[in-house]
Amino acid sequence: MKYNYDKKALQGLSVGPFLNQVKLRTQKIEEAPDTMPVSVFNANRLAKALHPDVQHVKISEVADHGGAKSYTLVPDAERGTEKMAYFRASQYVSVSLHIGDAVLSKPYTIRSSPADALGTGKTSYILTVKQTSPAYASKYILENWKQGDTVDISGPLGDFYYQQLRDAGTVVAIAGGSGITPFYSMAAAIVDGLEDFNLTILYGSRTADGILLKDEIEALAAKSGGKIKVVHILSDEEKDGYEHGFITAEIIRKYAPEGDYSVFMCGPKAMYDFEDGEMKKLGLPKRRVRKEMSGDYFGAEKNADYPVQAKGKEFQLTVNIRGEKQRVACKAGESLLWAMENAGIKAPSHCRSGQCGWCHSKLISGEYYCPKDADGRRMADKKFGWIHPCCTYPLSDMEICIYPTE
Amino acid sequence: MAKYDVIVVGAGNGGLSAAAYLAKAGKKVLVLEKNKLPGGCATSFRRGDFEFEATLHELCQMGTSEDPGAVRKLLDGYGLNVEWVPVEESFNSISTDPKNGFDVQMPAGVDAFIDEMERQVPGSRESMTTVMELSRMLSDGVGWLAERHNEPSGLQKVEMLMKWHDLMKVVPVTTDDMLRRIGVPDKAREIYESYWDYVSVDSTKMSFAVYAFMTYTYLVKKPWIAKYRSHEIVLAYDQRIRELGGDIWYNTEVTKIDVKDGAVRGVSLKTGEYLPCDRVISNLMPTVVFDRMVDPKEVPERDRRLMNARKLAQAAFTIYLGLDASAEEIGLKGYDTFVRSTGDTLQQYNNAASLETHQDYCVTVLNNVIPDASRPGSCLLQFSKFYTADVFKDVTEEQYFKLKDKIAMETVLHYEKLTGLDIRSHIEEIVVAAPVTWARYLGTPQGDVYGYEPGTWDGMFPRVQSAHKLDYTIKGLRFVGGHGTQMDGYSQAYMSGAEQARYMLLDMKEGC
Repeated sequence: MKYNYDKKALQGLSVGPFLNQVKLRTQKIEEAPDTMPVSVFNANRLAKALHPDVQHVKISEVADHGGAKSYTLVPDAERGTEKMAYFRASQYVSVSLHIGDAVLSKPYTIRSSPADALGTGKTSYILTVKQTSPAYASKYILENWKQGDTVDISGPLGDFYYQQLRDAGTVVAIAGGSGITPFYSMAAAIVDGLEDFNLTILYGSRTADGILLKDEIEALAAKSGGKIKVVHILSDEEKDGYEHGFITAEIIRKYAPEGDYSVFMCGPKAMYDFEDGEMKKLGLPKRRVRKEMSGDYFGAEKNADYPVQAKGKEFQLTVNIRGEKQRVACKAGESLLWAMENAGIKAPSHCRSGQCGWCHSKLISGEYYCPKDADGRRMADKKFGWIHPCCTYPLSDMEICIYPTE
Repeated sequence: MAKYDVIVVGAGNGGLSAAAYLAKAGKKVLVLEKNKLPGGCATSFRRGDFEFEATLHELCQMGTSEDPGAVRKLLDGYGLNVEWVPVEESFNSISTDPKNGFDVQMPAGVDAFIDEMERQVPGSRESMTTVMELSRMLSDGVGWLAERHNEPSGLQKVEMLMKWHDLMKVVPVTTDDMLRRIGVPDKAREIYESYWDYVSVDSTKMSFAVYAFMTYTYLVKKPWIAKYRSHEIVLAYDQRIRELGGDIWYNTEVTKIDVKDGAVRGVSLKTGEYLPCDRVISNLMPTVVFDRMVDPKEVPERDRRLMNARKLAQAAFTIYLGLDASAEEIGLKGYDTFVRSTGDTLQQYNNAASLETHQDYCVTVLNNVIPDASRPGSCLLQFSKFYTADVFKDVTEEQYFKLKDKIAMETVLHYEKLTGLDIRSHIEEIVVAAPVTWARYLGTPQGDVYGYEPGTWDGMFPRVQSAHKLDYTIKGLRFVGGHGTQMDGYSQAYMSGAEQARYMLLDMKEGC
């Protein structure tokens, strides 16, 4: 016998059921009700509600903070958005913009409480926009957006939110200027009972008069039952009741709790570069330090490993969109994404910092530079030639395939 | 004039396999994928320093390039450039049942498996040897059938009756029944049945032939994974399909499959564009296609009834952790470990039908197979849970994030308590994916990741036997994927893609 098993185990079994099983299956099918199948369940409804591709919104209110403005966005039912998507405090939306001939999208943190997006009526987000340097989209928004305007934004994005399993019971937040926005949303969520952790915000501003949302964030702290503390640090002014200078390890030690804490930071790259050194002084492990990364990557050309020979050159970028080719100019030091946007091509993008992968595109040919600290690609992307145009800088003429959603 | 011979809707495992098969056969193929990436379930994602595998635990029927299994042959035939890595173990399984519990590390290789089982359950050797010998027969029989494309004709049917009658006898018998018939001791049976989560139904519903074949193939051919996660596999597909003259468009959602008078005419895109084509391979589940994408008047009665006769399979819940210490430092052993409160698979299945009672999970430590899967001194740890019912049916937006976090917390705490290991002081990155997450990316009902429950009447054999003609109800429309005829899982999805692509080539030739 070829197979050494005891036939006893098969006693009483016949091939009949096997020969009959297709008939049995058909019979089972015929016995089932003749109604249309249902494919949409609560999980599908939630997926759609929490992750809409696009939210059509209207600006219902504009508040001027001097140098920055807050825009209240409400659903534009006429264009098909009934309510704002619920989100996790600190998440951002990608805002679609048309500036001159350029089409682009830029990430802005939802500054308001997730509670304001809950429910069916009167749901809203607030985006607080401060003029940045270099100013482009922020300048355009501050100069142009007004009450009643319609805007398209993405669903909520980003993973800068608090995770109880990972993070310490106290978060020491380091905020630089408009970097206050995710922490404002966290503070509001704590006050609204949606999040439960202690939040100590070390808030860096230039001068006391220029502190963005000062009264508002302090009002939240006052309502938090001691969970939220706000400390102001002024870089350009010495004043009683305020810390002075940068947010140093010493300042962090002064206000951080005894024992375990997490540091979350949001601000410009220069601040991160400075804080990297301070984190080392504090001896914090990597898992205790988180940075909000969304926003344009600046200064690729200034990186030590940037190939100097490319500086100042201009290259041709061939963009293949589902078989249709277009040629655009792309300067060295300018991301492929920006070159396309500037030429009026609506290339997909969200975070603009190499992290989210939304702009994932196929490289056909050409040499490029991708900064190490913005290379959020997967290993296989590198093996098979896939790039994130938001953080890819040309070193030669290039050709890529992109897949715009529209 | 249609520009393409075939449009493939969905670049998941099944769709990519079908597209590669057709492109290799010289057909002009266009793959349309709504996401920005190929793969569906088969993908990876980055957080900080870590790249997480989304779903692949292990591929079946691989083997080495010198001694390839059916899936390795298929993928090598496509010319995929993937660095495959073998898993040098079969599985680890823990039952915390106070009465009949166990904690076993089962090795790869038939003899080693039987030896270890005998060590764990003295007196199991004889019955387990019978199981393995039956499995060897089944494996040969499945191979014989595969050589005849699972459609033995004429005299081959007689040959099948002569040669493979024992296979035919055990296909309709459930795993549980057969193991009891053979006299496998209860504890050995429960250990042996540990894999059931990956086939979506418990051992009282799963065909013995299918389960035994799968387990045996894992033992002799080993489980395999891809060095750079499953993203490497699907990008390899993308590359080959392009090289073979096909094309793939990402961020391109198909909203309608245009069916008129029982035949496919084309597809409509979300952008409003219409692509004429009389052959479509759908990687999307039939339930989704018939409910949302085909003119209701054109949905065949058989399909309406079929969808209602079937039960949706498991929905996944996954916790991905990037830890800042190595697996060794933490004490994480093994690659895949099932942790259950009972060894009884039917009870496991029933427990998994509610949020309150489902405490079970599978633990995966990628670095124990690919040591450099993450930076030195760190590791990737994953917990997977599979729900057997629509447990998220009453969850609101407000409850959702908290519920996700609660399940993740309970799971990690449970594992820490069980093993005495410290996980929480090492978590550097965390991502939690609930059925809602899968529903978002895959569009499947309830966040189902395994298609339809392959219980006995709708198991692999009757599905495969109905695949060519009976279940082909709309001219030009065929379905592939983990919900397909070959059941769930990566390997099976690749097989289903090849099977349906081959049938489509025959359809084209025969004009049907």
